[in-house]
Amino acid sequence: MTQIIIHLKVGEVMNGKKQHYRIIPYIFLIPYFFAFITFRFGPSIAGFFVSLTRWNIVGQAKFVGFQNFIDLFEDPNFIKSLTNTLYFMLLTVPALVIGGLLIAMLVDQKLRGRYVTRTFVFMPYVIMSTVVGVIWMWIFDTHFGILNYYLSFFGIKPIAWLSSINWAMPAVAIATIWWTIGFNMILFLAGLQDIPNELKEAARIDGASSWQVFWNVTFPLLSPTTIVVVMLTLINTFQVFAQVYVMTGGGPAMATLTVVQYMYVQSFQYYRLGYGSAIAYIVFIFLVGLILVERSILKKSGDIN
Amino acid sequence: MKGKNARHLKTAILYFLMIVCTIVAFAPILWMTVSAFKPEGEILSYPPQWVPLEPTWANFAYVLKNFNFLRWTFNSVVAAVVATIIVIFIDSMAAFAFAKMKFKGNAVLYAVVLSMLMVPIQVTIVPLYLMFSSVKLLNTIPALILPTAGNVTGVFILTNFFKSVPRDLMDAAIVDGAGSFRIWWSIMLPLARPSISAVAIITFMSNWTNFLWPLVSVSSDASRTLPVGVAQFFGGQSGVSGSAPQYGPAMAAALMATIPAIAIFLFLQRYFVKGIMMTGIKG
Repeated sequence: MTQIIIHLKVGEVMNGKKQHYRIIPYIFLIPYFFAFITFRFGPSIAGFFVSLTRWNIVGQAKFVGFQNFIDLFEDPNFIKSLTNTLYFMLLTVPALVIGGLLIAMLVDQKLRGRYVTRTFVFMPYVIMSTVVGVIWMWIFDTHFGILNYYLSFFGIKPIAWLSSINWAMPAVAIATIWWTIGFNMILFLAGLQDIPNELKEAARIDGASSWQVFWNVTFPLLSPTTIVVVMLTLINTFQVFAQVYVMTGGGPAMATLTVVQYMYVQSFQYYRLGYGSAIAYIVFIFLVGLILVERSILKKSGDIN
Repeated sequence: MKGKNARHLKTAILYFLMIVCTIVAFAPILWMTVSAFKPEGEILSYPPQWVPLEPTWANFAYVLKNFNFLRWTFNSVVAAVVATIIVIFIDSMAAFAFAKMKFKGNAVLYAVVLSMLMVPIQVTIVPLYLMFSSVKLLNTIPALILPTAGNVTGVFILTNFFKSVPRDLMDAAIVDGAGSFRIWWSIMLPLARPSISAVAIITFMSNWTNFLWPLVSVSSDASRTLPVGVAQFFGGQSGVSGSAPQYGPAMAAALMATIPAIAIFLFLQRYFVKGIMMTGIKG
């Protein structure tokens, strides 16, 4: 009886305030949408139109269609920044994903002190990117750096980490792995803890070795997490900028020039706004491409199941 | 007996690996800290020492005297705190509407918001620069705050949370005569406290560590934020070229810029982890 009355009343209130009700949602949305349209959505669309122009900040914008994009792929510096970024990803992504998983599996064991290790491995992630750059410049210093000092124990001669064409990118990669691996560890840890222990136990009772349990039980069940981690890592590493800006400035001889950094240089050092925006849109195209690949992989694995 | 030994060995290896991970993760932070307290002569001494022989505050004094460090810190704190407060209010309002109200265009508007998760922030930088430049807001604190207000993650996390709140709670409040604003303020917000904490931390940290936009939008030293300020100490294109890098002051500045973040992290670890899981799961 009370149930019915309540429902009637709710209905009444809803109907009675029908007009009212139609406006209220928009009132709730207006503050956010003002910010969203002005600072996120609008600029994202505007960026595309800027990318279709030749525009040096002082002069008039001149519509050039897709000329900037055509020019980009004939610009050896842009190609260099693209291959550099892919090289950086090659150095970091496997380490970040596999390393993150291994550390997560390690601190998922019932060992004393696992919480301490989790905290310390994650801690670098809260440090700001430029500080990470500054810390590692000191560590990588050729003559006084602590890394070369310890390497000398193994008979390795001092490496000019940040000023050598061969070592600058690996150095930036090392700093980045140290900085962000804790993030992947947390994601994997959450995924691992979602897997019911009974499944692993059952496999063990059936005589499976630790390796078989991992490969046949843990890893397949972890795949949703793995996909998320791989995607986020690819997206974040493609956008590498601050570490490079601080540690090498893109040098030596453009050995560490990355895509986002080239966008920054073109837009805000040469003030070629149209060209810079076109580079930014390449980052967007990369992201869309990644997501399409992810979707198709997900669809395929769905078909199999 | 043999099985037991093997198990002991395995445990020992696992502990060893855990210690290695901890040391590798912490060593650079410790090295920064130790270096910050070393006098100028000691920092370039070889072999490197993990304990300063004559610890000194000189590097900190040098940074505070020669750089606008306190001003940068102030700018960073104000920008991050104000941005976080704005985001919590406007995002939770919008999320409440998306999750619990029926209106024309709900699904479409929400899809438009989410579509921006795919669009990298870099594409907005040039238009934002032109916009802020045309209204003469470059080099101001609002320039450091406003772009954060258009974020998407907060709305996404909070909408998901509000969707999980049972309808009955709202109905009961409606029966009691509560209006939409009352429901939002006194039912939804308190219920969402864990999610709001996560959104707050994500927003605060992303504003606090943001680099590209503050670098572009601020050129006067007095409006700089910490990440941009610290980047000026030395480095590829931003440093004073030709002079020997001054590692002592740089490490002191790095340490001062790091301590607040690490302190917040240690106190609010739970929410950090929650925040990461929420953003990670968005895929």
